[in-house]
Amino acid sequence: MMNMIEKKPEVLAPAGNLEKLKMAIRYGADAVYIGGQAFGLRSRAGNFTYEEMTEGVTFAHDRGAKVYVAANMVTHEGDAKGADVFFKTLKDIRVDAVIVSDPALIVVCANAAPGLPIHLSTQASATNYKTLEFWKSMGLERVVLAREVGIEEIREMRRHTDIEIEAFVHGAMCIAYSGRCTLSNHMVNRDANRGGCAQSCRWKYDLFEMDGGKEESLLRDDEPFSMSAVDLSMLHHLPDMIDAGVNSLKIEGRMKSIHYVSTVANVYRNVVDAYCSDPEHFTFDPAWDEEIWKVAQRDLSTGFYYGVPTEKEQLFGKVRKIPKYTFAAQVLDYNPDTHIATLEQRNNFGVGEEVEFYGPGFAHFKQTVRDLWNEDGEPIDRAPNPMMTVTMTVDAAVEPYFLMRKK
Amino acid sequence: MIELITTAESYQQAEALLDAGADTLYVGGHPFGLRLPNPLSIEEIGKIVTYAHRRGKKVTVACNALMHNEQIEKLPLYLTRLAELEVDTITIGDPGAIFVLKELQLPLKFFYDAGTLVTSAEQIAFWIGQGASGAVAARELTLKELIAMQQKLEQPIEVQVYGPTCIHQSGRPLLTNYYHYTGSDGPVTKDQGLYLRDPKNEESQYPIFEDEDGTHIFSTEDLSLMGQLKVMHEQGLNTWKLDGVLLHGEAFVRVAALFHEARLAIESGAFVPESFCNRLAKLQPEHRPLGTGFYMKNPEDVH
Ligand code: SF4
Repeated sequence: MMNMIEKKPEVLAPAGNLEKLKMAIRYGADAVYIGGQAFGLRSRAGNFTYEEMTEGVTFAHDRGAKVYVAANMVTHEGDAKGADVFFKTLKDIRVDAVIVSDPALIVVCANAAPGLPIHLSTQASATNYKTLEFWKSMGLERVVLAREVGIEEIREMRRHTDIEIEAFVHGAMCIAYSGRCTLSNHMVNRDANRGGCAQSCRWKYDLFEMDGGKEESLLRDDEPFSMSAVDLSMLHHLPDMIDAGVNSLKIEGRMKSIHYVSTVANVYRNVVDAYCSDPEHFTFDPAWDEEIWKVAQRDLSTGFYYGVPTEKEQLFGKVRKIPKYTFAAQVLDYNPDTHIATLEQRNNFGVGEEVEFYGPGFAHFKQTVRDLWNEDGEPIDRAPNPMMTVTMTVDAAVEPYFLMRKK
Repeated sequence: MIELITTAESYQQAEALLDAGADTLYVGGHPFGLRLPNPLSIEEIGKIVTYAHRRGKKVTVACNALMHNEQIEKLPLYLTRLAELEVDTITIGDPGAIFVLKELQLPLKFFYDAGTLVTSAEQIAFWIGQGASGAVAARELTLKELIAMQQKLEQPIEVQVYGPTCIHQSGRPLLTNYYHYTGSDGPVTKDQGLYLRDPKNEESQYPIFEDEDGTHIFSTEDLSLMGQLKVMHEQGLNTWKLDGVLLHGEAFVRVAALFHEARLAIESGAFVPESFCNRLAKLQPEHRPLGTGFYMKNPEDVH
């Protein structure tokens, strides 16, 4: 008999706006995390109004998915004003949990919205099981681990505590212990712990030694010093994450595009399902890897999961060119009799170009654009206008919300 | 009333610092204390505690690291030893360490010290609820904020009044990685005098080093609140920390002595800030400018 994994971990995707929320869920996310209008760390990632949250939560709950709201700011005097109303409203909207790192906000939340589950944000850098036990004793349901924790450490944590563990599996990484970097505060007066991080770590620096008042450069071969991490991807190691007892697999990127979020959620959904349905006979499908690289923005690594990252997990020198795909169109409709799909344009494309369609459930196919019509049914060569509606013949069946990308 | 806390790198310096007027010595060792001038063994700490107590002074031991499983497992033994030594206070920056302390029910007082994460009175109140006797304020706070915070709390907020401040801690060996990338090796440790410079800001020079906890980067300036000590005292901010993580031996003792003198002058109403600031500037190593960091900024200017 097959040895199925009953309690599948959740695939948790970022959603910068309502459209991304819906796409992430359609493409397989069990849960999404979003930002509200206040108390978050991503002031630039489109944040949700209460109305949008309500719509998002209804959409998610109708499909058995969850919505978490990040309120992970580290507050200064006065910043927590209004947090009580905020949390209470989230509870009324039926948000499934809030992600918080500031204990002051945790207290406000627990008092104003009792019963609203609280997750400890990675911003608090939880790195050991006693810390997990501490937060459990404070009534928290889940802890998002620091990115500095290894697989072996997670296994050890699981042996000592039953609080839910959420861990990052994919996306960009802060090179510091989260919450412990104020480079941006000191360099540009922007508070990293209140959403102002200017990514100062990714700048180029001189490195020198001070010897008796004399500066001596330590730079080698004109290569500037920098602290940029390549991105994280645990795609090839999900069985390890799942077996270690991680309850929620978190994808980074509330600022990322629909193309990115749908693709990454789709791949992780597929791998998790494949592994959990039959762990013993699981083999890694290279198509998953190929798919992830279509939206990769930097090289990928396993972060701290298998040891302290070396120079190979940092970005130095010339950055390797990664083949770039762009999001070209979204399917609005499909007529199975004529094989004609109606598309909404997202990036200029035209007849003769090689495109790829993909959809939920890891559906894929490539084809050349053979024909194209505008809204009035007139044949056209290209679809140059943003959001214009066009039709074209497709080689295989598609459904609304399938997406089309091109190189 | 005013408490002067100074780091101590050795027994010898501890003696000199107490002579210079320090009330509390701040010491610690690996793998529990972060960014210390010189990590000490438990035996060395014990000697310093005995000596300080004999002189009626106090010792705080740093247990403020972000701890991994391996560290947290070793912590009970360490805390038990510290309790036996009757150290006066410890600092904690990882809630897991509070959990361990509660489990052990040791008679150890602690200050919450999570670096950048202590930024409001409500947070400190939370940690006081978990047993803390006070907290170490983030260096990214303004004096206005610190005063407002202290007014809401009975327990003391410790403010760094002198020394460099850490602005970045990475779990990665960033220097080693850089050298390896270029196929070489190079200096990485604290006392090798390594700095980063942001080419867009010629004046900048951020000390950087690696140790067991990863890579640490410090501010360009050494903080000094010498000019603001009187206001601080008047507003109830009376727990002052001098950090000698990058300034060793006698040089740091002289700075501590000056702060002690300033304290006495404030208490007797004879404090002239300019004169003290000038004297501090003379003691300051040439390549380390003094500054007030965020303290004199407007809270609205940082966001
Ligand atoms: S500057 Fe870099 S290391 Fe610091 S908080 Fe921002 S992303 Fe993280």
